[in-house]
Amino acid sequence: MKTLNWYYPASLTEAAELVGREKIVPHAGGTGLLARGLGSITGLIELSRLPLHDLRITPDSIEIGSLCTYRDVVNILGQADPGHILVEALRESATTPLRNRITVGGSIALAPPWSDITGPLLALDTELVLLGDPSGTFPVAEYLQRSELRTKTLIQSVRLTRQTGIAAHYRHVRTRNDLPAFTITVLFKVSGGLITDCRIIIVGATPRYARQYKIENWLKQAPVDQLDDQAIQSLIEAKFGGRRIADPVYARHIAGIEIVRCVQRLMRNCR
Amino acid sequence: MNIELDINGRRRILHCAPDERLLITLRNHGYTEVKNGCLEGECGACLVLLDSRPVNSCQVLTASVAGRQITTVQGLGTLHQPHPLQQAFVDAGAVQCGFCTPGLILAAWALLQENPTPSDDEIKAALDGNLCRCTGYVKIIAAVRLAAQRLQALHHSTNPCRE
Amino acid sequence: MAAYSIVGKSVQKIDALSLATGTSRYTDDFELKHPLHLKLLYSPHAHAGIIALDDSAARRLPGVIDVFHFQNVQPVLHTTAGQGYPEPSPYDTVLFDHKVRFIGDRVAMVAADSEAAAIAALGLIRVDYQLLPSLFDPQKALEPGAPQLHDTSRFAPIGAKYDPQRNLAAEIEIAFGDLTGGEAASDFIIDETYQAHYASHCAIEPHAAQAFFDEMGRLVIISSTQVPFHARRIVAKVCDFPVARIRVIKPRIGGGFGAKQEVLLEPLVALAALKHKRPAKLVLSRREVFQSARTRHPVRTRLRTGVDQSGRITFLEMDSLLNSGAYGTHALTVLSNCGAKVLPLFNKIENLRFLGRSVYTNLPVGGAYRGYGATQGYFALNQQIDIITRRLGVDLIAWIKQNHIREGETSRIFEALGEGKAGVTQNINSCKLDECLDIGAHAIGWYAKRNQRLTDGDKVRGVGLAIAMQGSAIPLIDMASAYIKMNDDGSFNLDIGATDIGTGSDTVLAQIAAEVLSVSLDKIIVLSSDTDQTPFDVGAYASSTTYLSGGAVKKCAEQIRQQILAVAARLLACEADALQLRDGRVVHSASNREVSFAAIAEHTLYAHDQFQIQAGASHVADQSPPPFCAQFAEVEVDRRTGRVRVLKFVSAVDCGQAIHPQLTEGQIEGAVMNGISYALTEEYRFATDGNLLTRSFRDYKIWTTADLPEIQTFIIESHEKTGPFGAKSVAEIGINGPLPAIANAIYDAVGVRLYEAPFTPPRIYHALQRTGVV
Repeated sequence: MKTLNWYYPASLTEAAELVGREKIVPHAGGTGLLARGLGSITGLIELSRLPLHDLRITPDSIEIGSLCTYRDVVNILGQADPGHILVEALRESATTPLRNRITVGGSIALAPPWSDITGPLLALDTELVLLGDPSGTFPVAEYLQRSELRTKTLIQSVRLTRQTGIAAHYRHVRTRNDLPAFTITVLFKVSGGLITDCRIIIVGATPRYARQYKIENWLKQAPVDQLDDQAIQSLIEAKFGGRRIADPVYARHIAGIEIVRCVQRLMRNCR
Repeated sequence: MNIELDINGRRRILHCAPDERLLITLRNHGYTEVKNGCLEGECGACLVLLDSRPVNSCQVLTASVAGRQITTVQGLGTLHQPHPLQQAFVDAGAVQCGFCTPGLILAAWALLQENPTPSDDEIKAALDGNLCRCTGYVKIIAAVRLAAQRLQALHHSTNPCRE
Repeated sequence: MAAYSIVGKSVQKIDALSLATGTSRYTDDFELKHPLHLKLLYSPHAHAGIIALDDSAARRLPGVIDVFHFQNVQPVLHTTAGQGYPEPSPYDTVLFDHKVRFIGDRVAMVAADSEAAAIAALGLIRVDYQLLPSLFDPQKALEPGAPQLHDTSRFAPIGAKYDPQRNLAAEIEIAFGDLTGGEAASDFIIDETYQAHYASHCAIEPHAAQAFFDEMGRLVIISSTQVPFHARRIVAKVCDFPVARIRVIKPRIGGGFGAKQEVLLEPLVALAALKHKRPAKLVLSRREVFQSARTRHPVRTRLRTGVDQSGRITFLEMDSLLNSGAYGTHALTVLSNCGAKVLPLFNKIENLRFLGRSVYTNLPVGGAYRGYGATQGYFALNQQIDIITRRLGVDLIAWIKQNHIREGETSRIFEALGEGKAGVTQNINSCKLDECLDIGAHAIGWYAKRNQRLTDGDKVRGVGLAIAMQGSAIPLIDMASAYIKMNDDGSFNLDIGATDIGTGSDTVLAQIAAEVLSVSLDKIIVLSSDTDQTPFDVGAYASSTTYLSGGAVKKCAEQIRQQILAVAARLLACEADALQLRDGRVVHSASNREVSFAAIAEHTLYAHDQFQIQAGASHVADQSPPPFCAQFAEVEVDRRTGRVRVLKFVSAVDCGQAIHPQLTEGQIEGAVMNGISYALTEEYRFATDGNLLTRSFRDYKIWTTADLPEIQTFIIESHEKTGPFGAKSVAEIGINGPLPAIANAIYDAVGVRLYEAPFTPPRIYHALQRTGVV
């Protein structure tokens, strides 16, 4: 039988200490861990009894406890801010029963390439409040980049500012509830008919989190009614391929089209 | 491990290995109405309600849900005392081989608890985690619609006659 | 239509409430005492000999009881195909061989006290392989020098054409008329090749079987099977154990669709149980079902049709190459059906040749799958007629009406192509295909949408049509039987071998009995699919249950009816032919006297000249009256992305008298959704070494409620005089239309013709690029 010890810490401090130990990892919803397999893990820290379930919304900020499920985000944030990109991205993610288990913290900590959450969080300059070694507040981009921020910490909460732009999220799927081969998050503001403060992130290609600076700059200068998906396609800073993307030429073609369509749809809606 | 759970209103102590999935624990303790279709969280045959929220029990580690409430389809209604939702499935022709049915009924029940008058799109979204290969879903959607109507009628104190 | 009391009514399915309350049990729900848990070890190589196998470390693991493999299991050549004896499939399989023929082929089986110990033991079995060159391309299988999968110890029990040295699992060729003349008479020839692809049935319940000993020491097998009687026979043969000491029971099954028309697990559980005198159970994981169970056979069809300007097909040549995978189960019969179920539809073609070959490859194994060759054949035929009529500039529906087989007509194909043996000639007694076409066309808005390419930005719409016929059981080969006895209160036990795999056949057959006996449905107590307690039935395949098993039930019930009338005649002191059955009573309308079934039963059981009112009857059909179907798809194609959305799918079906309209619709709706996802998203993808990459629902996409298009189903009733109350069967036909109807609709929308499925967005996108139509 597999050795697996369960820990039920009564406080965040206790949990933070446990997570520093070798081969002991946090357990939130469990879906990500089971998908990967428990492998050489020897201990699981049960987080569900800790105060990590709050979702606080103020006029300027949103703070999501790491144990909030996708459903919690869609329902609670969706009430307060229905157009929020996180709501739009997570609403279609996985399936209804899985959204009742997938947690915000768990999906950031494991960050599989098909995750719908990372694109929106990167677009919104999200910060993570970490407990453990190290403790403190870190930008999510840095967390995803530096593995030393991940091995001995647990995510306490996720902090974002309120969304001031308009945003859209594209999932490249075969059926509605498919795991996306890649996702594209588009966020921007419109001022005087022009696009400003633009963020476009492709997740799931190479590099895994590919910010599209060239396209962002192009969009800021081009008149919106002359968007050309072929031009956009040529500016894509990402390589498609690998096991999950069988047809890289097609994927690139789609990425170009969908970026344009996201932008056009958003522009239409905000008129 | 010994894990205490409230299953269909009864407090029980279930024995499980630390890496055991709730689906397996439930089935090992006689709750064979919870089905194993894929063990990957994709088919929904194992769906149960965890504190009234639908989850794939094959994706839940038993040791992580101590003290919680589990509802299986038998917690909703039994052969001798079926729930109107179960009867609606029967009447609408939504039950062919029946293997997906327990999970589907619970997913539908969770929807109706939250949203007693769902639109077709809301029904489809709520059931998106339950695969069915027999029915093509058409009569399943009809069944949930029918159940919603009947439950509303019951709620408004008229007695729906079953043909 | 005729007015019946219970036939034609959508009564409550007799097991539905039990299923909806999670009460009815499936194979893995039955508890066994200290069973052996069985787990299988599979080959990591596509083609290899096993030169050494060392199970000693596995055996030493605590909890491991035994390890079975070629060194300790007697090889008995058989086929796993659940078919009548002698099976029309080659005997090319043994339980454990010293050779492996595809990645996922069986190597060994562990029996242990716990599942965990069995799984751990798998990793401790050491196998040394000698790799052999592999064969993945069916088109290369017959070439000289191709790797040979099977040796000459293998044979075809019915003497059909079979040549393992050439990797030929089956071959059929029929021809009639004058092909050269037909070609000369043509004004143009359409010569196209179509490829139907692999698919998995995706029954939500994986394959499962368990074996245990009853109190008399007989072996009882509970199995998720479509073919309990074939399973019993094959287990007896493979395990060298008498039929008399085996009982096979089919409990509830979580879907079959052909996947479980295969005797795959039963010999394994029997083997373990018999050796250790302990219960044994085996349940496949989803991954094992995808890779190591059975699939739909991929079929490459080349169709050459000559057409003259009047629209007549002057000759037709169909060349079907079926990829059997590593073993030849159903290889001959599915191949046959590619022609047998498809070619009779256009029976006016005088010059015709059908050549079919099934070949072995080092890939997953094809088996029975709803449609059974017809699906693959119709993919070709329905696109071909779309091409032909467009070329001629004529209305497709009008052309079909002019050319399809009609009531009173026959086709030479019926006789020429059977299921392995010679076929059986028949005339069509019932065919409402024209009405199906008209009703379906109206429902989809055919004439308003066809060739219109209604456009909205990047999205273009199109409509496509596909027609099909199937069959109702296998004539002169399949047999069904039923037994009925009467109880004290005027209720009846109906014992049938027929196998309800979720189709509702228990209910449909009860309705037939209830109609004959003039009682309500609750008076019929159904017991099915228990080889000890129910008489023989071939099982659930070939769309046989309503037509064939229904025929046996009707015969049996009529005998009971005669016995009841005879007793009533005595009791009422009149002639039996002056009496009628009505609502559980026998009535003498002339004198207004009656006697209840309960009174008759009590009299016969207890009073005087006592006897049990009972009867058994069997039925073999001498024809297989086809249901007919017209199916229409409306799609929207995004010209930039190649994405296809099915907006609406309409099916209009003639299955004779629908015994239970709601269940009939259910069969069509389920088949349609299966066909739609087969057309658009289901795909088996392989690595270059032959390993299956798509072994999970994550990778192999079937649709959820979120993907559901608008589906409409019309039942157009005809009267099939040879079927019980005019019924034909309906279980398979619905799956034949979606693949070609959607292909035709895509062509209608964007002018690209897809010869290969699934019609994924990249495929369509690249096709659009090639035609320059973006």
